[in-house]
Amino acid sequence: MSMSDSKKFLLVFITCFVLEFGGLACAYAASERLVLTGSSTVAPLVGEMARRFETMNPGVRIDVQTGGTSRGINDTRNGTADIGMVSRALKPDENGLHAFTIALDGISIILHANNRVTALSKQQIIDIYTGKITNWRSVGGADARITVVNKAEGRSTLELFLHYLELKNSQIKPHAIIGDNPQGIKTVAGNPNAIGYVSIGAAEYEAERGVPIKLLPLDGVDATIANVRNGTFPLSRPLNLITSREPQELARRFIEFARSLQTHDLVEAQYFVPVEVN
Amino acid sequence: MHEVRNTHAWQILRDRGVQFLIYASVLLISAVFIWILVDLIRGGIAHLSWEFLIEPPRDTGRAGGIAPILVSTLLILLVAVLTAVPIAWTTAILLAEFVAVDNAFGKAVRFSLHVLAGVPSIVFGLFGNAFFSIYLGLGFSILSGGLTLACMLLPILTSTAEAGLRTVPNTYRTSASALGLTRTAALIHLILPAAAPVLAAGLLLGIGRALAETAALLFTSGYVERMPDSLLDSGRALALHIFDLSMNVPGGDTPAYASSLVLVSLLLCINILAMKFAHGLQRRKIMT
Repeated sequence: MSMSDSKKFLLVFITCFVLEFGGLACAYAASERLVLTGSSTVAPLVGEMARRFETMNPGVRIDVQTGGTSRGINDTRNGTADIGMVSRALKPDENGLHAFTIALDGISIILHANNRVTALSKQQIIDIYTGKITNWRSVGGADARITVVNKAEGRSTLELFLHYLELKNSQIKPHAIIGDNPQGIKTVAGNPNAIGYVSIGAAEYEAERGVPIKLLPLDGVDATIANVRNGTFPLSRPLNLITSREPQELARRFIEFARSLQTHDLVEAQYFVPVEVN
Repeated sequence: MHEVRNTHAWQILRDRGVQFLIYASVLLISAVFIWILVDLIRGGIAHLSWEFLIEPPRDTGRAGGIAPILVSTLLILLVAVLTAVPIAWTTAILLAEFVAVDNAFGKAVRFSLHVLAGVPSIVFGLFGNAFFSIYLGLGFSILSGGLTLACMLLPILTSTAEAGLRTVPNTYRTSASALGLTRTAALIHLILPAAAPVLAAGLLLGIGRALAETAALLFTSGYVERMPDSLLDSGRALALHIFDLSMNVPGGDTPAYASSLVLVSLLLCINILAMKFAHGLQRRKIMT
């Protein structure tokens, strides 16, 4: 290849590249767009809501990203995301953010289905998680060591669980640390002596499909979606969309849509509890 | 006499033993692959269909297919390979052909590549998010995901290509210059084709790593499962989809199996094609 040939080739290549980028940039600017980041529990639900919203509003794009509640809060604060997804109520020190509840979720203690224990008091749960009770015999079960499954730092299920038991994470003596709900269910289903806690919706779904786990009542209230809805179940949490300022235009329209009756079937399909918005 | 026969029998026995151990380890390695494949096929084949490949996902992936995810994955891969290969291979040519082995500059480049090769992928993900997505303003997009992957591929592609070029015997180079070929001509017509199978093997390693990547893409190319319109759209990679289905979606196991089966088949196809191509190139350029 002679010198001029290779130069021509390079020129054509660069031209194509620039044209392509120009075209991309135009397409990028043409549509209305929202970016959401945050909780991996909320992301699949909001993803489905976004899809329905897009079909009802052609030209609008809702990009749902994930990464965890803390990330959602950070991204919303620094403007990377228009809306954050948070799977708990906002804390008092997280001021300046606007939260909009789109669904409720309960957290249930789960055991393996073959475990003889059918109920644990709050104190017994505290003793198991802090390592004071280490054998199922002490709480009426078989003679076997308890495997304590805890959630990873930064998970909002962990925060909610600790808040309910009035414990600090450093007091917990876990044998296994897990991330997401299905992982917790798989861990307990695979170990007859494990105890863990996961989202009620996910646990109910898997238990109905024959996964060997059972949900324990808390404070005498059965862990069911119905009890989360009527507010009697003690360990439940709101799933929120958050914004850094009063939502405007597209963000406001999407949040209103996510809280409307039009999305209740989607919330139920993800095993969460829809909220009534007046 | 009796003793000699005894030693002989012992030697035969020892050889048999070593032979057995070698076969056993070969079997063990194949068994791991076959076990994974059989497990994937058992879990996913029932869910796999033509519709699964051409439909978009519905109900967070529990129903529908993986078409947009396949397209995003291939686009990310394309961006990564097209960016990384020219840079990596030119670096390798420089290191192997134009710089002496004990040259300080060459050593520095090689050292930095080795360090880069050992960096965990989530670090690349955070770097990609900070640099491509936020600093360069590409946002969550296939482009920033692909460029992040390209950074990850650089060390693999460069080291394998350099090793491949170094295995080409020096007699090729001396014969070429004796025939009056310039270094560039020798490189294009002789040395690169001779090293092609190794280059292809390196490329395959890279593609395999890129296709399997989850952590680096979570914060760069993102989580959106829509069919991408352009490279600036966010697009979910197949490995990320599998991770999400098995970790975040209750009841997502079966589609996760089916998606994994697609991923593994894709890898196998790319492997076979690239090997064929590399051997063909070598034969056409050198053997005839």
